[in-house]
Amino acid sequence: MNDTSLGSGPLPPEQITRILFEGFSPTAVALFYAIAVAAIAAFAWGCFVELRKYRRGQPDPGPGVELGRRLAQMVATVLSHRTVARRDAAAGRAHRLIFYGFVLLFIGTSIITLQVDVLEPLFGYRFWYGDFYLVFSLVLDLAGVALIAGLAYMMVRRAWIRPAKLDYARPDRNPGDPDYDRRFYRREDWAFLWTLIAIAVTGYVLEAARLVWLQDQPGVWSTRSWAPAGALIAQGLRDGGLSSAGAGTLRGLLWWFHGILALVFIALVPRTKVKHLFTAMGSLMARDPLAAQCLPKLQPEASRVGYARISDLTWKHLLNLDACTKCGKCHEACPARAAGAPLSPRDLILSLREHSNRSLERNLIPGDADLDIHGGKPGQVSAETLWACRTCMACVEICPVAVEHVPIIVQMRRKLVESGEMDPLLQKTLQTIHKFGNSFGESKRKRGAWTKGLPFAVKDARKEPVDYLWFVGDYASFDPRNQQVSQAFARLLQAAGVDFGILYDAEGNAGNDVRRVGEEGLYEHLVQANVAAFGAASFKRIVTTDPHSLNTIRNEYPQFGARFEVVHYTSLVLDLLRQGRLQLERRLAHRATYHDPCHLGRFNKEFDAPRELLRATGCELVEMPRSRDNSFCCGAGGGRIWMPDPVGKEKPAQIRMREAARIEGLEVFVVTCPKDLTMFEDAVKTTGNEGRIKVRELLELIEPCMAGALEQPMAA
Amino acid sequence: MKILVPVKRVAALEDDFQIFADGRDVDPECLNYDLNEWDSFALEQAVLIKEAASTDVQVVAVTVGPEPCDEILRACLAKGADRALRVWDDSMLGSDPIAIARVLAAVAGRQAPQLVLTGAQSSDHGHATTGIALSAALDWPHVAVVAGLKYAAGDARATATRELEAGLLQDVELVLPAVLTIQLGINKPRYASLRAIKQAAAKPIEVLALSDLGLAASVVGEAGSASRVRRMVIPEKGRAQMIEGTVQQKAQRLAQIIREYKAA
Repeated sequence: MNDTSLGSGPLPPEQITRILFEGFSPTAVALFYAIAVAAIAAFAWGCFVELRKYRRGQPDPGPGVELGRRLAQMVATVLSHRTVARRDAAAGRAHRLIFYGFVLLFIGTSIITLQVDVLEPLFGYRFWYGDFYLVFSLVLDLAGVALIAGLAYMMVRRAWIRPAKLDYARPDRNPGDPDYDRRFYRREDWAFLWTLIAIAVTGYVLEAARLVWLQDQPGVWSTRSWAPAGALIAQGLRDGGLSSAGAGTLRGLLWWFHGILALVFIALVPRTKVKHLFTAMGSLMARDPLAAQCLPKLQPEASRVGYARISDLTWKHLLNLDACTKCGKCHEACPARAAGAPLSPRDLILSLREHSNRSLERNLIPGDADLDIHGGKPGQVSAETLWACRTCMACVEICPVAVEHVPIIVQMRRKLVESGEMDPLLQKTLQTIHKFGNSFGESKRKRGAWTKGLPFAVKDARKEPVDYLWFVGDYASFDPRNQQVSQAFARLLQAAGVDFGILYDAEGNAGNDVRRVGEEGLYEHLVQANVAAFGAASFKRIVTTDPHSLNTIRNEYPQFGARFEVVHYTSLVLDLLRQGRLQLERRLAHRATYHDPCHLGRFNKEFDAPRELLRATGCELVEMPRSRDNSFCCGAGGGRIWMPDPVGKEKPAQIRMREAARIEGLEVFVVTCPKDLTMFEDAVKTTGNEGRIKVRELLELIEPCMAGALEQPMAA
Repeated sequence: MKILVPVKRVAALEDDFQIFADGRDVDPECLNYDLNEWDSFALEQAVLIKEAASTDVQVVAVTVGPEPCDEILRACLAKGADRALRVWDDSMLGSDPIAIARVLAAVAGRQAPQLVLTGAQSSDHGHATTGIALSAALDWPHVAVVAGLKYAAGDARATATRELEAGLLQDVELVLPAVLTIQLGINKPRYASLRAIKQAAAKPIEVLALSDLGLAASVVGEAGSASRVRRMVIPEKGRAQMIEGTVQQKAQRLAQIIREYKAA
């Protein structure tokens, strides 16, 4: 160091530092270390209890692989705060300030510990002085400002902005129930904010008091601008008449207050919401990108099915429960909750968390009765709540910390199915699917009957090889309205010269929704039948108009050794258009909006092909407020289409239709999923929009534009 | 103690079906098979008694039929039956309910149940005879069309609530052993998950021949039956008609029909 160094002037750099425990008696220093050791011991014990809790869950084969890639993705997600900021940019910014402020202050404290407790006593090495010290002061001073600013915004948000998603009142409990409004969490939220802000603010005043106290020592007052916020307060204190001696007393008091508060905070990390620092990182590392698309397979030798007890959850799902930060993004996105059903994904996760904390943090695991997670008691989840889920994946997709709500719900449903706790209609449908291979209770032999309305024969893929095996699915095969769409697609393929065929009576329900209901045995039965049919046919790729079938064949059949390339028709038709095999000669001029089906959009990330096709028809595409990954489920998923909706309550499809109806001059509501067509044709009537808005499958807009198509007005 | 539950594999017609050239039966290609719905209520009642019992109760499901009937026995095992018996001999082809009851009586004679619970009728032939004929063959008391039952395993008597015409109910007390034929709605039959059915596939189904029951071929099949199917016919279409058109057109046409009938 020399005279040209940063702000140290003529002083030797060794003197530009902070003397730790300055003016403390050896007893006081010893006392502080005793408290610090106790706090760290409490922290360590807490961590042990938490880790023991997770280890009491079941093994999860997934997260063990590709640790390096997982770590990199987790670090990128945490540092960018991408998932925290989604659909709530302001909270994301504030959280980023808190996070970076906190992390820098933590690193700063660690550096001091490194020098004072490790390097200096062991090796006599010092580095925390001079220029390094000054830059260190500046960074930490600014980090403190960031932390306080972020915390202040969060306080304003909770006290005045009050977003609806932060109201913890539960749709699955009644006012007066002991766990209705989760008051405890609100108190914890505020205690967390106040504690952190108190630590930060006392830190500044402490710094300022030290500056005033030691203002006559060389290298203290002259370098104060390296801690601008502290210097500003110090100036204020001095101008207010605080003497050096008075500042010394103030510094002594604040030192202990600040120090003990910080240590208590550390001791409580594993017991409070502060642990999300660690649990969120762990959860993000264990993240399965196909968590909802590909549900866990049953172990063939398992004696029990699904999640009946808290200890049936995998360690990863137990960790998910603790990672939840109650941010409410899933609560806001959930279509069941929006429709007034007794389900909020957040509340379900929190219930299970309370259960696991109560039962699995104990030294001894309690008996089975105390581990039961099904029911209406605090910490339990009722059957109505589980059956309300549409498995639309809105919650899993938006969760900033990779909580897997849908697999947890389906695992719990598997237990309900095993003990027969389900809607009678659903029970009947499952029996029908077992008996007939389709949910319509129609004879297998009628599966291909819709092709009779075509002017050409559709190849039987069991009898001759084809390029494209078209997996038609139940709705597109049997529902009269959807049969029209199937016929339109067949005509389109024929016109484009695509070599395609279907499996006729060898095709059965693909099982996507049966699996999401939780009837895993029936699902496996359906998969085996379809895979056997695929094996007996010769084809290159599979195409389907049904996103549900697409999802399970693409993402889940590989679990059973059946790997096929399967595309949604929108991708194929777009290819045909680009290759010039399909010509659109006429153009429509409708004002249209497009509804992303859950299983095509969120599940399989196919957002663009349908939109490009829609534009190619000449229609003007106007997006709804919620589109693409934020698309709002029609309410049919997860087997809900086989269960009656509660009377008198608005259905998700109606909510969605009203959202569309707010688009000025909207003429066509475009879908690309057979179940959507059924749900929204109903919703357009029940919301009083019939005549104004027409629900159309995209194919029904493409066909009239094709070369050789008859000029016809769009029928009502 | 034992509860015997005789069950039947019933057939349901598909939309398009064929009657054999001899007119005596429907082509099985056009049939879908299932456990008779009434029998599933009888089985559930037996399983409920077992579950509520403090003593050891064994529920034995039995059917008379060829090998494909194993499927419904597996469903019974999946839903809580402890054992499953199937009686068959090709000479039983053409048996009427009386002959079937004779076979079941022989089974009951060997199994010595305290209670026989079976469906009040079958959904395909609808004779509502087998259970009653069985009680006659055994010379045991019976109550038919039971819509409620007060009985705990080990009791010497049971009180059955019969469903009479016009919504009237009748409580009947009877001494066991007895035969009860069960009406729909007496309970909520449980769902047998496919997993439970698959697991039940590992359980044995005891197959009995006529000789195992000490019965002669002459008392079963057409030879041992009091009735036989002569022919099956599809009744002529009734006078129902579908009114097509808009709501207004439909209403007008309906009003017109009503006026025509009033005038007639």
